Amino acid sequence: MSNLLLLLILLPVVSALVCYFVRSSAVRSLTVVATGAILTLAALGLLGQGTFEPLAVGSILGISSDFLITVMDFALLGVIFFYGLKHKSLLIQGFTLAQAALLVWFEMVMIDHTAVPALVGDQLSLIMVLVVSIIGSLICIFAIPYMKEHEDHLHLKKSRQPQFFFFLLIFLGAMNGLVLANNVLWLYFFFEVTTLCSFVLIGHDATEVATKNSVRALWMNSFGGLAFVIGMMLVYMKTGSLDISAILAAGPQGALMVTGVGFICLAGFTKAAQVPFQSWLLGAMVAPTPVSALLHSSTMVKAGVYVVLRFAPAYMGTLLSDGVAICGAFTFVACAALCIGQSNGKKILAYSTVSNLGLIICCAGINTPLAITAAIMLIIFHAISKSLLFLCVGTIEQAIGSRDIEDMRGLYAKYPRTALITIIGILTMLLPPFGVLVSKWMAIEAASSNIYVIIMLAMGSALTVVYWARWGGSLMATRVADAAPEKQALLIRLPLTILCAGAVLLSVAAPWIYNSMLAPMFKVAPFTMSFGSLDAVTGSVAIVPLFIVLGLGVLFAVKAASGFRKTKIMPPYLGGANAEEDGTYIGPMNGPVPFSAGNMYLGELFAEGKLTPIFNALAIALIVLMLGGAL
Amino acid sequence: METLILIIIGLVAGPIIGGLIAGLDRRVTARFQSRQGPPILQAFYDVAKLFGKEAMVVNQWQILCAWVYMIAAAVSVGLFFAQGDLLLIFFVQAIGSVFLVMGAMAGKSPYSQVGAQRELMQILAYEPILILVCVGFYLVTGSFSIEAVWQLDQPLLAKMPLLYLALGYALTIKLRKSPFDFSTSHHGHQELVKGVLTEYSGPYLALVEIAHWYETVLVLGLCSLFWTTNVAWMAVLLLLTYMLEILVDNTMARMTWRWMLKRVWLIGMGMSVVNLIWLYAG
Repeated sequence: MSNLLLLLILLPVVSALVCYFVRSSAVRSLTVVATGAILTLAALGLLGQGTFEPLAVGSILGISSDFLITVMDFALLGVIFFYGLKHKSLLIQGFTLAQAALLVWFEMVMIDHTAVPALVGDQLSLIMVLVVSIIGSLICIFAIPYMKEHEDHLHLKKSRQPQFFFFLLIFLGAMNGLVLANNVLWLYFFFEVTTLCSFVLIGHDATEVATKNSVRALWMNSFGGLAFVIGMMLVYMKTGSLDISAILAAGPQGALMVTGVGFICLAGFTKAAQVPFQSWLLGAMVAPTPVSALLHSSTMVKAGVYVVLRFAPAYMGTLLSDGVAICGAFTFVACAALCIGQSNGKKILAYSTVSNLGLIICCAGINTPLAITAAIMLIIFHAISKSLLFLCVGTIEQAIGSRDIEDMRGLYAKYPRTALITIIGILTMLLPPFGVLVSKWMAIEAASSNIYVIIMLAMGSALTVVYWARWGGSLMATRVADAAPEKQALLIRLPLTILCAGAVLLSVAAPWIYNSMLAPMFKVAPFTMSFGSLDAVTGSVAIVPLFIVLGLGVLFAVKAASGFRKTKIMPPYLGGANAEEDGTYIGPMNGPVPFSAGNMYLGELFAEGKLTPIFNALAIALIVLMLGGAL
Repeated sequence: METLILIIIGLVAGPIIGGLIAGLDRRVTARFQSRQGPPILQAFYDVAKLFGKEAMVVNQWQILCAWVYMIAAAVSVGLFFAQGDLLLIFFVQAIGSVFLVMGAMAGKSPYSQVGAQRELMQILAYEPILILVCVGFYLVTGSFSIEAVWQLDQPLLAKMPLLYLALGYALTIKLRKSPFDFSTSHHGHQELVKGVLTEYSGPYLALVEIAHWYETVLVLGLCSLFWTTNVAWMAVLLLLTYMLEILVDNTMARMTWRWMLKRVWLIGMGMSVVNLIWLYAG
């Protein structure tokens, strides 16, 4: 058991060191692929062994592991402070110093150093390990050919890939540590590691805007770190324990402790880029695509929602819980609205990520078994579909040189494979019976008992349809009869195909995923499973029957469409005679008149610049309300 | 087994009822305008004729999209007759709407592109209301499944009058009737041509038409759930509602999508929220 745990946390670190010091691209590729494979197997092995009680790690080379973590904590704060000095950011310096001071007081004065079991594996941890290890690995593998092409564009004298893969792999190890941690201090340490890694990765290209955005990410996340330390101290004052399992088992313990949990949730909010902290995640788009895929889908932001979800039992039934639900729902609808106004593909993905994270946090706040089920299902399925879409946008960008969805019009004509996978990815985000929508269905049913939340979810849900449908539709086009097949590197095709197949197949398996991994979490499970459908008194969803019926229907439709060469292909109706030249018609004066059509982005209603300050102000008010609710 | 029979009844009866309603609609509208109007079965003749036409497309995806639209609409009606989960039925119905839009966007025609964008605005307007109506059902019956509605001993209309009015908005938008007929219009000789339907032709237009019949039945079915205690009153309610739809259709001019979005989100959502507050308090 503990060998597998060590493997999951330390193997990425070792591989990272190999990538850093051995500057051969062949060795690097091999290391990354092998690490990915081993991590995947280890995560599956851990799942096979089932959940385990909190266990102590003991000492490494004669030094107590807790002490080691403390030392590394301060070292990490030192490094972050150094970057604060380097980039002359007073915010980073201030937040880091405050963290360090509080941490010294906490370690020296407050806690009595009794042994606390460091790691634990319940259902939530195991699921998170699977998400991180498998999806994270696929993204790292995708990064191998991607970064080669990326650097070819940049004409670097000396490759910066060793450093890139170093932090990419450390990230995976830190995430595994974070989701398995049982000691609050360990959780905090891994939390800070992800902060530092994301800062370095966002700033990887070292352009002016990359540096600026990475500094913003760092100060926002340092603020989150400070909130975490404060929360940790308040919780300790009341409970006198660093043992997360024990804290959760005891439930809410009065105002002081719940306020502490509120601060920890706030830390989760910053990491999950909830409004008003969304700007750092949007800024993270400047990084190479694998980074944005990793940050958005399986790691960084999922660390934030994981923390909020992990502590859900500790604020169950309090006003804080309602506050968390409302803050999450607000982010869901606000970011969906901001998304409407975007034509930049990566920005659409970013806002949609934040929006979905809001929904997950909202579910954590609703805090019923049904809502928690919805949250965890959403974590799984969102991670798959969103990482797929990010990799698609990265592939498209390298192919057509733009990430604007207006430039992706008719992509299918030239890049059928990529376009098809993108369309499938979009549909898995948008339509039933795919996992994301089934989770959303659960979320809405769970939220129905809270009027504020349900209104926001209803609006956000409608906004979501608009921005996905128009993107999916604009990719469609007809292939010329004898067009050359699309070329794709093997290491790009592999992750895309696996993720695409995974998004579809795991959705079919959703009832069994629920039954084997989620249902045991609850004393009273929200659904019973029969014939591949999930049933409850409040409502049921026949996932597998729907898949069979709709799947057969779609197969039939595909077959009908595949015979299109026999039907007559006509130019579109233009209100005039069609000209020879594509995209024009014969207009007045018998000359060709070009025409074009674009998407509506509703600038007057959903302008990003106008809405963002309003949303930020509202969100800050809601967060204050939430924290006040803990008192 | 019983469920299966119900589903089959729904799948067969859906287009028949939908087609008859479409025929009646045209007849009544004609009378409003002092015209004779076509025979009641005209809608079926039209579709039969469309199926006989030569298949022509701008884009291969339209074939796929038209079929998926039809299939999803049929499945949602099937689910409705199977007494399934209201929210799920609504989401399955959304598959069809999304594919209709995507098919229209696949063709390069500016008219169908504009129609598709406007259709999305219509979805944006009615979706929240439909979700809130489902929530209203849940608050009254304690469940999202249609089965629970039949257990009630007083009509839902008594508890959800404002939600019914809001649903009226959604119904008008979903049926693309004036003043909300801006994603496609009844007559092709206007500035929009046929909007979202411009590039669907022949057999594929016939599929879209059948899908629309299914949708009509689904929305009217949702309305019928507001009076489940007495079949006669249910019929009266449906008749009144549809007559009102036709009246509104004939007396209103087409508005813009901005007007719709503001009006529906403010008034429609406002009414829904007020009604929900009553239900939460009650």
